[in-house]
Amino acid sequence: MLKKRFSKFRTISLLFVTIFTLALAGCTSDNTSSNAGSDSGSSSGDDVTEITFWHGATDIGLTALETMVKAFEEKNPHIKVNMVYTESSEGADQKLLTAVAGGNPPDVALFDRFKIGSWAAQDSLTDLTDMAETDGITKDLYYGYAWEEANYEGRLYGLPYSTDSRLLYYNKDHFEAAGLDPENPPKTIQELEVAAEKLTKKNGNRFEQIGLIPWYGQGWLYGWGWSFGGDFFDEESGLVTADDPKIVEALQWMTDFGKKYNVEDIAGFESSAGTAAMDPFILGQISMKVDGNWTISAIEKYKPDLNYGVTPIPTPTGTDFTTWSGGIGIVIPKGAKNVEAAWEFVKYFGTQEGQEVYFAELPGDLSVIPEVNENLGRGDNPILKQFIDILPNSNSRPVIPEGQLLWNELVTATENSTRENGTPQENLEKATETVNKALEKYK
Amino acid sequence: MAELSKATNTRPVNEVRKKKSFIKSNIHGWLFASPWIIGFLAFFAFPLIASIYFSFTTYSILKPGDFVGVQNYKELMQDDLFWKSIYNTIYFTIFYVPLSIIFGVALAMMLNMKVKGMAIYRTIFFLPTLVPHVALAVLWMWLLNPGFGLINGMLEIIGIQGPNWLGSETWSKPSLVLMSLWGIGQAVIIYLAGLGDIPNELYEAAEVDGANWWQKTRNVTIPLLTPVIFFNLVMGAIGAFQQFTLPYTMTQGQGTPANSLTFYVMYLYDNAFKYFQMGYASAMAWILFIIIMSLTAVIFITSNRWVHYQGK
Amino acid sequence: MNPKTKKKVTKTIAHVFLIIASFFFIIPFIWMVSTSLKPLTQVFTYPPEWIPNPFQWKNYLDAMEYIPFFTYLNNTVIITLVSTLGVVISCPLVAYSFAKLEWKGRNVFFFITIAVMMIPGQVTMIPLFLIFNKLGWVGTPLPLIVPAFFGVPFYIFLLRQFFLGLPDDLRDAAKIDGAGEFRIYWQILLPLAKPAVLAVGLFQFMGSWTDFIGPLLYLTNETQYTLSLGLQQFQTQMGTEWGLMMAVSTMMTLPIIILFFFLQKTFIQGITFSGIK
Repeated sequence: MLKKRFSKFRTISLLFVTIFTLALAGCTSDNTSSNAGSDSGSSSGDDVTEITFWHGATDIGLTALETMVKAFEEKNPHIKVNMVYTESSEGADQKLLTAVAGGNPPDVALFDRFKIGSWAAQDSLTDLTDMAETDGITKDLYYGYAWEEANYEGRLYGLPYSTDSRLLYYNKDHFEAAGLDPENPPKTIQELEVAAEKLTKKNGNRFEQIGLIPWYGQGWLYGWGWSFGGDFFDEESGLVTADDPKIVEALQWMTDFGKKYNVEDIAGFESSAGTAAMDPFILGQISMKVDGNWTISAIEKYKPDLNYGVTPIPTPTGTDFTTWSGGIGIVIPKGAKNVEAAWEFVKYFGTQEGQEVYFAELPGDLSVIPEVNENLGRGDNPILKQFIDILPNSNSRPVIPEGQLLWNELVTATENSTRENGTPQENLEKATETVNKALEKYK
Repeated sequence: MAELSKATNTRPVNEVRKKKSFIKSNIHGWLFASPWIIGFLAFFAFPLIASIYFSFTTYSILKPGDFVGVQNYKELMQDDLFWKSIYNTIYFTIFYVPLSIIFGVALAMMLNMKVKGMAIYRTIFFLPTLVPHVALAVLWMWLLNPGFGLINGMLEIIGIQGPNWLGSETWSKPSLVLMSLWGIGQAVIIYLAGLGDIPNELYEAAEVDGANWWQKTRNVTIPLLTPVIFFNLVMGAIGAFQQFTLPYTMTQGQGTPANSLTFYVMYLYDNAFKYFQMGYASAMAWILFIIIMSLTAVIFITSNRWVHYQGK
Repeated sequence: MNPKTKKKVTKTIAHVFLIIASFFFIIPFIWMVSTSLKPLTQVFTYPPEWIPNPFQWKNYLDAMEYIPFFTYLNNTVIITLVSTLGVVISCPLVAYSFAKLEWKGRNVFFFITIAVMMIPGQVTMIPLFLIFNKLGWVGTPLPLIVPAFFGVPFYIFLLRQFFLGLPDDLRDAAKIDGAGEFRIYWQILLPLAKPAVLAVGLFQFMGSWTDFIGPLLYLTNETQYTLSLGLQQFQTQMGTEWGLMMAVSTMMTLPIIILFFFLQKTFIQGITFSGIK
């Protein structure tokens, strides 16, 4: 009997001890973790405000960021920036989302401009319109599309800082070998098709050399859609127009291209495609592709003697060249504790001074402020210059609360069409319907 | 007469004793289970109830949304991608779970042999579970490469032209089944532990009766492994239905080609974190729950017939 | 064929099968190690080169500089060891109560335990985060450690299966001898479940060691980060630094491999009841 009671006693006491120790551990770490990032920002006796800054930069991007932060801190001695790496792909969304939902977000975060619309619609970013107005920051400072992307329903939610654009890369040696003029790349879709045919060498199912794959690289439907003269969004009605006849035309062209060269074989080529040093354009396996300006540094790194050029994406008429751009911005999540200090930092990074310091460390990247690109001599590189020249004519993806949904739907429509699951018209109509339906709940 | 009185005298005492031991065993039961009772109440109950509630709203994580009753569920029924993802997920589960059990048990039995160097073999089969998912994804894409991948290279030797595994709508899921078999190491360890609990005396007794290898396996090993097979069957099904990380990493969330690799939880994830439809995603989660629960209930009910617990 | 030859044949067949299967199973690991010793330009060559030439050991040193390797390692070790301890203490206890003890609501609660695993974590993640937020544990490693001490459904289910497989006679015999419940558990049945408990410990070790989403959500200070978060830092804007990333991955697998190599003998330990009876 005594034994039984004792054993019970032991169990209970074991449990209590465990719980007690854990509670103790919890309390003590509460004390020591008070400066664990998010809830900091107290003004100490020195009157220094500390702001937390979440970013996903590594390697040289990180060095550039650190240099800029230091310059900012020197200029603003009463603000200290606590940089926290939070990973740049999928996980970052979840981390920021939970932080905002939980009420303790960082003061500043780097943020893909593409998402500003949807997050602003969810009321999760701080409205910067008034502060920007007071400090004289307006649309005129930036490339038009960049400013637009950072606004939602007429209010400003972030300041842009980086951007990019897409052009058609082509291999000059291939052009010569195929009897095409390397200094006169295709301007119309017609010329593009002719060139692609001359440049393609197929052996059974395998491509020794393929002229062009419209959807490879950065050949998303966005690019071709705009180049064909279509529009994805009607601002007045607030409706997505992915089934715009010009966009359908573009997708039809892509589908026909796929049919001509056989989609399965192309897919085989695509899966064989390597990355980085084994990139097919670098290896000369593909003669032309639509890609972004960041590829320039990759080519310089892995094959500096590659004889290539860039040209605006061909259009049906050979005029009205355009492209599309993305980029990153800086935002202040809703619920941030030190909005004023955060704004000082956002302002610095979002305008000339900060951007000149930052981009000086990143010779291949483009700023969102034309003047900065000029001052830093980005135009000196003849290839990069073309990417810059087209920026004034660039588009940004529609600023809607369901940007990601539209993107995914367009990918689905493109894949289904090229694999002949439904016609481009049907698939794009479906995409349009799906997205517009999702947009209803924001009205 | 004397006996009768004895009976009537002892009955109340027996009842009291029974009641006492009943209460005592209850207390012991609750006490032993208490960490988990607390844990469940603290870390699981609220999130579960919250997510049921969310499924009836248009909760978006950042905004509480409106209460909309069963609208999410209704919309899901009309959602093509929802049905496609169910199809993809069931396809995967049907092929993967039986394969992983058969292969896993067979492997474990072989690894259980008392042969020199078995430790190395066991470690080898366990290794893939230690490689980070992102590396596994890239590696498989490389191996399955239609042009120069190892798999098609070997098929060519025997004269078959291998398909474009990951680029083809037909072959993308089988590729994933193959890839997932790499992760069998964990299940094999569980089978090994189960094999370890089979008393040698039973094998000895069977041998005395003149049983050969197959008879021993059929009459001793497999029946006594059933508790563990049952576990891996249930957990395997649950895991297969919730397949997410590998295909999401491989296709960068797009489920290419043509949504053939869009699994249920991938679509759920996109709805929750990309499309700001956590309410919709919660409804998806609870539909998944019902599906898995039904399947598990069937497994549990039939388990009485085929699972043998040594203890009983 | 006499039994001895039959045994030999079976063993040979098994060996052949094992060798072929091992070939496939070892590929990921070999690729990982081989990549960890290559410069980036050689990682994706065609035809594939499995043996790096030359061996770039430098990757390991570079990787340890690229991220605060030892800080991350330290954090990962602490979180992993403590949570493994928690699981090994709590789960067998709870599993035992499901398997061997009779109490009201046991079966219902067991079914709830399994049901809990059927809900994808993605939807419970936010409310759970809010709970930890309210407790003030966000920004600390507590959410990654404390729940382990209160039971994990997966392990509870697994251990319950094992306990069910242990004969009831042992319990009955011990009871007649006057042993208390806890004593029966602690001294008799738990030791018999050692292979399973060790397996659970190993799984938790692996799970915690490589956990990514937990540390991502709950750690907000770089000095608290774990190795799995560190791995992400090798995915830069210019592409992934495969060599360095695989170097860290290889280093991360070493303790687990060593742990496994020494533990796996206990998994195949046979048991005999003669001693106990």
